[in-house]
Amino acid sequence: MTFRLFKSLNSGFVLCFLLLFVVKVNADEELKPVAIVEENSDQWQQTLKAAQGQSVYFYAWGGSKAVNDYLRWATRELAKQYRIKLIHVKVTDPSEPVSRLKAENGRTSAIDLMWVNGENFAYLKQQGFLLGDLWTAIPNAAFLAVDKLPITVDFGEPMHGFEVPWGIGQFNLIAEEAVYPQPQLSAKSLLVIAKKHPKTVTYPRPPEFHGTTFLKQLLVNLSDADPRLYQLASQQAKNELLPVLWQYLDKLHPYLWQQGQAFPSSAAEQLLLYQQQNLSMAVSFNPNQWLKEKSTKQISKSSVRRSFIDGAITNSHNLAIPKSAPSPEAAKVVINFMLSEKAQQEKFTGVWGDPSVINSLFDDKATMPAHPELHSSWHVLIEETWQQRYGG
Amino acid sequence: MAATIRRIGLTSAWLLVSLISLLPILGIVVGLWPSELVNIADIKPFLAYQGLSVSVFMTLFSAIFSTLISLYIAFMVYSQYHLSRRLQSFEKYLAPLLSLPHLAIALGLVFLFSDGSLFFADSGLPRKGLSTLIIAIVIKEVPFFLLIFSAIGRQLPIKYWLLQGKALGYQDYRCWWFLVFPPLLKQSRLALLAATAYTLSVVDISLLVGPNIPELFAVSVYRWQSSFAAGDQGLAFWSNALLLILLAMSVFILYAHEKFAFAGCKALATQGSRFLIGKINPMFKAWLPMLGLLTAMMVLVFALWSFGLNWHGNWHSDGFALTQLTPKLWQDEWLFFALPLQNSLLIGLLAGLLGVACALLALELQCQKGKYWPDYYWLLAIILPQLSMVLGWQIMHIWYQGGYHSGWIVLSHLPFTFAYAYLVLKGPFQNVEPGYELLAASFGYSAWQSWWQVRFRLLLPAIFTAFAIAFSVSIAQYIPTLMMGAGRVTTITTEAVAIGTGSQQDLIALYVLLQSILPFMAFFVAALLARRFRGSMGGQDVRDY
Amino acid sequence: MLEIIDCQIQAKTWHITLPGIQVHKGELLVVTGPSGIGKSTLLHWLLGNIPQHVVIKGQIMLSGTDITALAIEQRRVGLLMQDVYLFPHLNVQDNICFALPKNPQLSSKKQRRLAALNMLEQINLGHLASRYPQNLSGGERSRVGLIRALANQPQVMLLDEPFAALDPSTREQMGAWAFQQLALQNIPSVMVSHDIEDIPASAKQLCLADYYQALEQK
Repeated sequence: MTFRLFKSLNSGFVLCFLLLFVVKVNADEELKPVAIVEENSDQWQQTLKAAQGQSVYFYAWGGSKAVNDYLRWATRELAKQYRIKLIHVKVTDPSEPVSRLKAENGRTSAIDLMWVNGENFAYLKQQGFLLGDLWTAIPNAAFLAVDKLPITVDFGEPMHGFEVPWGIGQFNLIAEEAVYPQPQLSAKSLLVIAKKHPKTVTYPRPPEFHGTTFLKQLLVNLSDADPRLYQLASQQAKNELLPVLWQYLDKLHPYLWQQGQAFPSSAAEQLLLYQQQNLSMAVSFNPNQWLKEKSTKQISKSSVRRSFIDGAITNSHNLAIPKSAPSPEAAKVVINFMLSEKAQQEKFTGVWGDPSVINSLFDDKATMPAHPELHSSWHVLIEETWQQRYGG
Repeated sequence: MAATIRRIGLTSAWLLVSLISLLPILGIVVGLWPSELVNIADIKPFLAYQGLSVSVFMTLFSAIFSTLISLYIAFMVYSQYHLSRRLQSFEKYLAPLLSLPHLAIALGLVFLFSDGSLFFADSGLPRKGLSTLIIAIVIKEVPFFLLIFSAIGRQLPIKYWLLQGKALGYQDYRCWWFLVFPPLLKQSRLALLAATAYTLSVVDISLLVGPNIPELFAVSVYRWQSSFAAGDQGLAFWSNALLLILLAMSVFILYAHEKFAFAGCKALATQGSRFLIGKINPMFKAWLPMLGLLTAMMVLVFALWSFGLNWHGNWHSDGFALTQLTPKLWQDEWLFFALPLQNSLLIGLLAGLLGVACALLALELQCQKGKYWPDYYWLLAIILPQLSMVLGWQIMHIWYQGGYHSGWIVLSHLPFTFAYAYLVLKGPFQNVEPGYELLAASFGYSAWQSWWQVRFRLLLPAIFTAFAIAFSVSIAQYIPTLMMGAGRVTTITTEAVAIGTGSQQDLIALYVLLQSILPFMAFFVAALLARRFRGSMGGQDVRDY
Repeated sequence: MLEIIDCQIQAKTWHITLPGIQVHKGELLVVTGPSGIGKSTLLHWLLGNIPQHVVIKGQIMLSGTDITALAIEQRRVGLLMQDVYLFPHLNVQDNICFALPKNPQLSSKKQRRLAALNMLEQINLGHLASRYPQNLSGGERSRVGLIRALANQPQVMLLDEPFAALDPSTREQMGAWAFQQLALQNIPSVMVSHDIEDIPASAKQLCLADYYQALEQK
């Protein structure tokens, strides 16, 4: 009897502990905004009026035809509905608008709206380059699926209203069905496949984001989702968890494409190699990319989507407005439009396939089983150590 | 009165030329000026970066080696066009070779020849490696050097030198090495500098086909500059400093090479060596056609891609049907590339013309002064790292708050078009005999008139070549257009580079072809015109004595 | 008439003081002397091309006008050099057109070309009109060069070793023909020459070595 009491007390403690943990985690997140402006309020109507006729220079990656086509659609809609001219400035690297903002240093910017996430967001937020209170100023922010998706924290940095989620990224592999028969992968099964089909497996070279995320998935799988991965990396955790990953990679690298002596420089390059049938897998953050690429005949008919057994690492990609943007009202209207049901629907069902972030379109089936992002300190750690061990 | 106008004219000309040549230095200083306090302590993590020394060595080696290899190959190819009677002019064949952007050549090269490619299941050419990088660069550099040689050689009495040498008993290839190589090398110095600086700092080709364990230094610099994670900007500062040192080193190495080559040729010549050294194989005759064939294949591949052909696997696998070709992509994208193409054309024309005009001005001013400033000063725009330099311009432009119209873009292209025009024109300019202008003066032509009707006229073929190169350089500029235009002005290159970071094969191929159209037209027209207008030694039917 | 007054050529280690020189219309003055003494330099100074390595002082009078301070293009002095410098981008006819003075009678291109052709035909070289300089023989080049220089109607003709590049027999022919042409033009001429055989008997001679003085080493 004492044993049972002890057990129930124990589980009680554990429960309390967990509750505290959950509460603490919640407290770190952004408190739900209390007063989001309504669509038909005066304030918003004023914003709409001010926005009419303005141009919005949107700095967004221009390498994906799907995204470009979607933005062209959005341009037409915005012109029709709001008389706003959306101009897609195709950047090759997400850091280009960041360095421009840094160079501008507060003067009237050339950027009205930018596509941003990760370290770039953290930097911009810390430097005070971004316009705040976006969540309260934009009506459709009320419909963001904050309960169902981890979209209030960007890579460890709370958004605090400085950026608005636009879509979801979930790490997955686009692979040849014959080579990857099982729908879910583990580190072990990947090693087996690599041995069976040498020189067809690889990952983008860290610190490219996809590459590091691939390593993170491996680490999660190898360490059985050790809870310390979601906290600041301690010295002890480093010494215990990371070597598992390196041992695995030491075994994996000889079977990789180019025997691990060279890696694709980007996910796009890896996809090109996959298209040219040099590789049996490619990586992606868009869970529907495989479908869209197949339908436009970019990849082979036997391509399928594979993910890790622990769930796909999930994050959001977001929109932000520089504090010194010349047309902030129009930019807000654009964001509002981007969060509207129509735009999110078109984004998901159209050529792009990017999952939606709003409640009404949230579909458990549309997204893959998700896995939370690791703490950002692990990200940096993996990149640095990888460089030391394999990058030189 | 006329003297005062002349004085004012001269002073303003000097001012203009100084400004253009100083812009690069200004840009670098402003661009590299650390905004946060840069610690000397930051140097430690920089130096401790894994693979730094190998990376630096590889980068320097690839830059110098590829440049020198291209030089010698181009020189030997050029020899065939002088030593053999039949092949006289080849400039027009250079046009297609020069128009494909560097990146496209790398892309086509690996697609056609590397492991697991179209023709070879397992060739020796790694998909990503130093050798692949060097080959890709050499393919583009050889035609470039050939163009330079032809611009220089037109002004030199090469035929007479060869004749003289042969009369003295030397075989033709030895005449070529002892007599023609030294002056040609000396006048190509600027071109060598430009090629080396390019290879040293090129990022896109390094990313695509260069090795990445460790990666080339330029890639690391770029990565640090583009990253805003903690500490990366400090790394960026020190890596830029090292890059500048590398650039200075390569200038020094090239000068040293020139001295050695000269000394070598002189030693062999004075020894009266009559034994077999450097026998130039007539096989080099085949180089240009081979390169031409290669380029044609690449263009074909890109064209097929853009028409929707998905070439899976290699020759042995099944699965391509010509029936699936469709011009749909071209039709869809036409709306979107028409304007950028137009922008490219106008900006290129203006920047090219201004660049050539300023180069002529700079040359003339130095000629009148009697003293020529060191070559690398004029070429600073090409030698200094472009990203930091343009960043400096961007910062200055933002201070000035001058708006974002095409005028600024033309201005930002000007230092580059100027530098390339200068490098093409310097040799021919210095080779124009002053006797011609003296005679014209004795006939009563004023300084202005004799300059236009004699010197300019004699330089016309070189000017056409210089303009074609300057124009193409302007077309190919990405970073200045993006950073100064802030998205307001799109050119075909900004579109193409953005597309190139993606994975849409057909779209990439389409934009590559579009990028090539304008330079191709420029080179082709320039070659035709250069043939038609005679230079100092030029023209058809040159009698052989 | 060409007059050179008080001419002094000063270099670092030597100087030459010339007497007053007069060359009348139709006369030929031949400047001789060892190589490097400054014959060509003197000629170029007469042309207006100020030499860099020596200082030449003096006064030049041409038909009574002081032309010492005038620029080359204003002097109406013709020059024929050893390298004929026929413009390679123009054919023979156009080379001569280039040299024709600006004349209200010869305003249109057609007229100028006709005049040039006439000049060529007068010396039996009309068949060369559309050839390019690279396709002429040495002798032809020299002749065309002289005709071009004379087409400019200079008041003085300077010749800087014009026949040195020719073979002996051509040289003899050219020389005779040239002096004939110069005499026809009735202008004073100054020629620099190495070869004593070049000098026609009627020419005046000026040997620079006679007036050479080495400066004491300080």
